[in-house]
Amino acid sequence: MNMVDLTINDKKIIVPAGSTILEAAQSAGILIPTLCYHKHLSPYGGCRLCIVEVEGIPRLVASCTTPVAEGMVVRTDSEQIRRNRKTIVELILSNHPNDCMVCEQNGRCKLQDLAYEFGLKEIRFQGEKSHYEIENRNPMIERDYNKCILCGRCVRMCDEVQGVGAVDFSKRGFQAKIATAYDGVLDCEFCGNCIGACPVGALTGKPSRFKGRSWEARKVRTICNYCGCGCSLILHAKGQDVIRVTQVEDDNCVNQGFMCVKGKFGFEYINHKDRLKTPLIRKNGTFVEASWDEALETVVDNLARIRKEYGNNSIGGLCSAKCTNEENYLFQKFMRTVIGTNNVDHCARY
Amino acid sequence: MKKDVSIKVCMGTGGMAAGSVAVMSSFKKSLEKVGIQAMVEKNCSVHKVGCRGFCARDVLVDVVIGGGKATYQYIKPDMVERIVNEHLVGGTPVDDWLVKDDYHTFHDKQVKVVLSDCGEVDPEDIDSYISRSGYEATKKVLTTMTPQETIDVIKASGLRGRGGAGFPTGVKWDMAIKAPGPVKYLICNADEGDPGAFMDRSVVEGNPHAVIEGMIIAAYAIGAPYGYVYIRAEYPLAVERLHLAIKQSNERGFLGKNILGKDFDFNIKVKLGAGAFVCGEETALIASIEGKRGMPRAKPPFPVHKGLWGKPTIINNVETLANVPYIMRKGAAWYAGMGTEKSKGTKVFALTGKILNSGLIEVPMGIPLREIIYDIGGGIEGGRKLKAVQTGGPSGGCIPASMVDTPVDYESLGKVGSIMGSGGMVVLDETDCMVNMAKYFLEFTKSESCGKCVPCRIGTKRLLEILTRITEGKGRKGDMDLLETLSSDVKTSSLCGLGQTAPNPIVSTLRYFRDEYEAHIKYKRCPSMACKEIISSACQHTCPIGTEASVYTALIAHGRFEEAVQVIRKDNPLASVCARVCHHPCELTCKAAEGGGKPIAIRALKRFAMDYARKKKIKVQIPKEALKDQKVAVIGSGPAGLTAGYFLALQGYDVTIFEAKPVVGGMLRIAIPEYRLPKEVFDIDIAFMEDAGVKFRTDTALGRDISIDGLFKEGYKAAFIAIGSHKSMKLGIPGEETKGVIPSLRFLEAINTGKRIKIGKRVVVLGGGNSAVDSARAVRRIQGIENITLLYRRTRSEMPAYDEEVDAAVEEGVHMQFLTAPIQVLSRNGKLSGLECVLMKLGDIDKSGRPRPVPIEGSEFVIDADTLIVAIGENPDTSCIQGSRGIEVSERNTLVVDPETLATSREGVFAGGDVVTGSNTVIHAMQAGRKAAESIDQYLRGESPEKRYDVTRPSQYIEPLELTDEEIEEIMEADRPAMPLLPVKKRKNNFREVESGFTQGMAVKEAKRCLRCELSTLDGQKTAQEIAMRKRTRS
Repeated sequence: MNMVDLTINDKKIIVPAGSTILEAAQSAGILIPTLCYHKHLSPYGGCRLCIVEVEGIPRLVASCTTPVAEGMVVRTDSEQIRRNRKTIVELILSNHPNDCMVCEQNGRCKLQDLAYEFGLKEIRFQGEKSHYEIENRNPMIERDYNKCILCGRCVRMCDEVQGVGAVDFSKRGFQAKIATAYDGVLDCEFCGNCIGACPVGALTGKPSRFKGRSWEARKVRTICNYCGCGCSLILHAKGQDVIRVTQVEDDNCVNQGFMCVKGKFGFEYINHKDRLKTPLIRKNGTFVEASWDEALETVVDNLARIRKEYGNNSIGGLCSAKCTNEENYLFQKFMRTVIGTNNVDHCARY
Repeated sequence: MKKDVSIKVCMGTGGMAAGSVAVMSSFKKSLEKVGIQAMVEKNCSVHKVGCRGFCARDVLVDVVIGGGKATYQYIKPDMVERIVNEHLVGGTPVDDWLVKDDYHTFHDKQVKVVLSDCGEVDPEDIDSYISRSGYEATKKVLTTMTPQETIDVIKASGLRGRGGAGFPTGVKWDMAIKAPGPVKYLICNADEGDPGAFMDRSVVEGNPHAVIEGMIIAAYAIGAPYGYVYIRAEYPLAVERLHLAIKQSNERGFLGKNILGKDFDFNIKVKLGAGAFVCGEETALIASIEGKRGMPRAKPPFPVHKGLWGKPTIINNVETLANVPYIMRKGAAWYAGMGTEKSKGTKVFALTGKILNSGLIEVPMGIPLREIIYDIGGGIEGGRKLKAVQTGGPSGGCIPASMVDTPVDYESLGKVGSIMGSGGMVVLDETDCMVNMAKYFLEFTKSESCGKCVPCRIGTKRLLEILTRITEGKGRKGDMDLLETLSSDVKTSSLCGLGQTAPNPIVSTLRYFRDEYEAHIKYKRCPSMACKEIISSACQHTCPIGTEASVYTALIAHGRFEEAVQVIRKDNPLASVCARVCHHPCELTCKAAEGGGKPIAIRALKRFAMDYARKKKIKVQIPKEALKDQKVAVIGSGPAGLTAGYFLALQGYDVTIFEAKPVVGGMLRIAIPEYRLPKEVFDIDIAFMEDAGVKFRTDTALGRDISIDGLFKEGYKAAFIAIGSHKSMKLGIPGEETKGVIPSLRFLEAINTGKRIKIGKRVVVLGGGNSAVDSARAVRRIQGIENITLLYRRTRSEMPAYDEEVDAAVEEGVHMQFLTAPIQVLSRNGKLSGLECVLMKLGDIDKSGRPRPVPIEGSEFVIDADTLIVAIGENPDTSCIQGSRGIEVSERNTLVVDPETLATSREGVFAGGDVVTGSNTVIHAMQAGRKAAESIDQYLRGESPEKRYDVTRPSQYIEPLELTDEEIEEIMEADRPAMPLLPVKKRKNNFREVESGFTQGMAVKEAKRCLRCELSTLDGQKTAQEIAMRKRTRS
C-alpha cells in the first residue's frame, strides 16, 4: 500500500494514500469535531465543523473530504478555526428547539456536546426557526425535523447502506428539509439505522420514547437472537426492562453495527405479559402450565403415537430463522432419521 | 444597378417584448403591398437579428441599403408603412424616428468581439453566420492545427474565464488534454443566474453558432467527444435557437462523426436547468446534469480530473466559448492587444440600475468605470448623483462614486473589494440605500443557498435577518460588528463559491458606507429615503423639525383645514414664516416626483393652511407644562433662538430672548425682503410665541450689554447662544474698500428696517446665493435704477439660490451674467466707476461637488457700474464671546458644540444655528433650536444628555380619501399647480408680496395628489385597516 507522510499540528504522521485528513488525524489521536461525518458513509462536507488549515491553500478546507497529500502541513486548532467552529455551532443552535431537558437524545447528543465544549450559554444570532409538524405516522420512527441539523447521515445511511432511499433532501436553503417522496408517510423497511446515524434527537425510536434517560440504562453488548446472522447489538436496560437497542460502535462484529427492524425494534416482547415463560399443555380445551419434562414427555408420546397410527409422513416439521444453522441442521436430521419423513420446512419460506 | 436592401429587426427577448414580431410582419406585409421589389428594383429582404444591446430603445430596426445603414428606434408596427414609403421607396429616411447622437455615444466606446455579430446575423440561419466568416475558425483549427497548438493560441491570447473567477482558459484546457482516458466532457455553462444579468442569454439568442463553434474548437483541443450546454429553462428563446443552431450545424457536418473528414467526433446535448443559482457552481452543475439534486461537493477531485459521470470534464462559460472562434480567426496577438497586462480582451456587461442608457455593452478590459457610466451609459437618470456601482451581482461588491476612475479588470476590481463576476453592473444613485441594497442581494443568496452547508444555509438567513431589522429601524447597537464577524465566518467556512461570496455585498457596503449603517441603526434615519419602515413618509422624515407634512396634506384633502393648522403648529412656531421662505427639503424627496412626476406643493399647502388660520382667526392652543421657576436665556432671535425659546417656554421655563438689534427675528427680519416675507406675517409667529410665554429684550447685545457670566449671576440656569452669522465676507480684490461697494447684508437690513442707504443707478450684485438674488430683486424695486446685473462665476445650474427666486429675478428684469468673476474694483475720483471682470469656464469637480470655475486668460473686460453689492456670504462674528470663560471657538470662528446635545464646552451653555454651522438654512437653524430646547430641558432636569432616536411616524393616521372613479381619474391627470404671483408690472417700486398663495380649490386638489406614503408602513396599514373596519361597523 502506498503511504503518505504529512504533518498535523506539528506531529508527523504516515497514513495510506487516499485517506482523508480527518482519517489521518483520527489515526494519530487528534480530535477534530464532526457532525455530518460517519465512518461507514461517503464523505459529505456539509457541517463544516471539521475545517482545518492546510499550508498553501488560501481557504479553510473540510478535513472529511480533503484527501491527504505528500508533505501536507495541517493545523486543526487555530484561533480562526475555533472561532469558525463556534459560529457554526451557534448557527445550528439558532435554528434548534434547544429543549434538551425533554429530548430523547439528551446525554448522547453530539450537538449538545459541542455546545458544551464551546460554552455557548448565549447565542448571538436569534431569528426565525423552522416549524415542522412531527412525523410519526408509523409504529417505529418518529421524525422531528425541528431538531434536524441536515447533516444528511440518515439520507446516506438509507441510500448507501440499506439501499432503500426512503428519504432525501427537499427544498433549498433555510427551507431545506429531509423528506420522503412528496412528503408522504415514511414507507421503508424500518431498519432504524437512520436513528443510529442521527447525531441529534431528530430521529427517535418510538418504542423507546420516554422509557428512560440514556445514563439510567445499563448497556449490555449481546448477540441478537432473532436469526442466525448473529448481529452484535447493545441492549439498554433500565432495571429489568430493555428500553432501547443501539448499534455497536466498533467493527468487531458481523453486522458492523447495522441492524434490521427486528434487532432494532423487536425488544418489547422481552417483558411482554403475553410472553410464554413455561410450556403450556392443552387439557380439556384450555392451556395449563406445565414443566419442561412434562411437556417434552407429551410431545414424545404423541409423536410416537401418531407415527405408529398414521405413518411417518403424517408428521411435518417447521423450523425457524431464530435458530442457528446448526440447530436447523439438527432439526432436519431429526425429522428425517428419527421421525423418518422429508416433510421439513422453514419459516423463511413464507 | 440593383441594390440590396435588408431590413434587420431586433428579435432578442427585449425586442420581442417590445413588439418586434408585429413590427417584422408589418414590414413583410408593407413590402408586399407596395410591390417594392419591382418598384425600386431592389432585392429586399427582412431579417430577424439578435440583441444589439440597447434594449431600452427597442424595437430597433436597421435599414441597410447598399451598405449604408440607418437605424430606427422605438418602432411600432404602425410606423412601418411610413418608413417603407418614405425611406425604401422615396429614398429619404424618416429623420424623426432615427436614432439620435446618444445612440452613437452608447456604442462609440464599446469594442465588440463577442457581440460583434449580434444584431448583424440572423441567429436562426447558419448561412447568415457563415457569410460573416462563421465556422472558418473551425475549418482552420481542425485542418491545420493540432490540439496542443490550439491550446497554445488560447494561452497566448490571455483569455480568462468569463463566468466570474477569471481562471486562464488555456491552462484549464491544458489540464484537460493531459487528463487520461478516452471519454471526456465539455460543458458550456449557460446557467446565468445573477439578478439583472443577461449577457449569456443575449449571446445565445443573438449568435448561437459562435458558442457552438467555440465548443467544437474547445472539444477538439481537449479531445472531448461529448459536449453539454447547461442552460436554464427560463430562457426559452435561447433554448429554441440553440436547438436549431445545433441541428443546422449537424446538417452541415460541423457536428457529428468525422467532422470535416477528420478523425474527430463531437456531439452536443442541451440540458435544461430548473433555474437554481447554485447550479452555476461547477460541481452542482455536474450533479444536475447527472440527474441528482443540484448541490456542490468538495473539491478535490476537480472536475478536470473527475467530473461528469466521473470522467475528466471542463466547464466554460458561454462568453468564454463565444470568444474562441474570433481568437482563432484573428489570432492571439490581436486579442491580447486589447485590455490590460493581466486581463486581456473585452468583457460584456449588463449595464442596469439608475443609468440613462441601460443595456448590454462590451468594453475592453481596463476601461475606467467612469467611461462606462458617463460616456456609454450617458450618466445617471434625472441628473442625480452617482453613489456606487455594484459589480459581480450577489457575489460582488460595490465601488463607491469616489472610485469611479477604477479600471474595470480582474485585478483592479479585486483591489477595491469587488469582483468582475459574470458581468452584472448595477448603477446606484443617491436614492439607493446601501443597507437596503445589501439586503436585496442577501435575500437572493439566502433563497438560492442549496442548504447543504451550515454557514451558508443558516448564516445567510441570519445575515438577512440582521439587515432586515436594520432597514426596519430595529437595528441594535453591535449589529455592525455582528454583521462583520458573521460575514467573515460565512465566507471562510462555507462549502462552495455561493456561500464564500454571499456576504460580499455586506462587507463592501460596510467598508464604504458605514455611515449609512450608523444612520439606520443609531439615528433611525435612511438618508436615501428608501427604507419604508424607517422613513414612513419621506417629507416628514426629511423635515429637520419633523413636520408632519403628509398628515396636514391629508387633512387639507379632506377639507379639515383647522386640524391641518393644528398639525402644522404642533412642530413649528414659525409656520407662517416657513410657509413662505423654507427651502422645502420635503419637496425634494417627495415620492410623487418619482418617475417624472412633480412633488406635492407642500410649502404652498402649508401657506394655504396658515393663511386660512389668519383669515379665520384660528387660535391654536398647544399644551404647555406648568410654569417652572428656572430662567433660561436665549441669545439671538433668529430662527434658532426663536424655536429654542418657544419650546423651552412650552416646557414651562421662564425664557427671555436677547436680541442685539432693535428688531426681533435675526436674518428672517433683516435679510429677507418684504416681498417674500411681509412683516405682518412675521409678526403673527412672534405673537404666537409671546402667547406661549416667550419674552424678548431687544437692543441687548452679548459682549456689550450682557455677558454669559452676568446672565448666570442674574439667576439664569442655562443659556443658548444663537447669534447667527453676520460678518460679511471680503472679496479679496483690489479696490474693495471703494465707496459704493456694499455688503449685501447691510443693504438688505437697511431696506428691510427702513434705514437710509445710498445706492447708485447702475448696480452690480455679486454672488449666486439667495442673498444675491434677494439683493438684486430688492434693487430692482427701488425707484430710479437704470440697470441691475447679477454676476456669478459659475452657471445657472450651479447657483445655490432657489430656482423660483432666480426665475422671478429674471422676470423682473435682473440681468444675469454667468461665468464671470471680478478681478478689480475700478474708481474715478474716489467713487466706484466700474468692475474689471474675467470670464470663467467650468473645470473639474471640486469638494462641494460642483465644477470649479477656471479663469479664461485674456478674456478681461469692464462692466460699467456705480454700485457693487457683494453677496458672497457671511461668517459668524464670535468676538462677543471671546471674553466668556470656557466656551471653545473653532478656527473657522464657529462655536464648538457636541453635535448631539449642542452643549458647548461650558456647562449650562448651549449653542446652535449659523454660529455653529456657518450660514445655513432657516429650517436647519430651527432644528438646532428644537434640539437645544430638548437638551436644555434634559440638563435642567438633571437627566442624562443621551438622545433617544426613533423611527419616523405620524402622530395620527388620517383615513384615506374615498374617491369615485371620476375623481381618481381627475387626480391621475392633475399636476402641481403653479403658485399664483403678483404680475411683474405690479411689482415695480413697491415691496408687495409676490406670491399670493393657493386658492382653496387649488389646495384641496393638490393635496389629493399626495401618495400618503405613511399609510404603507406596517403601522400605517394596520391603522388604515382599523379605520376602514370602524367605518364599516358604523355604517
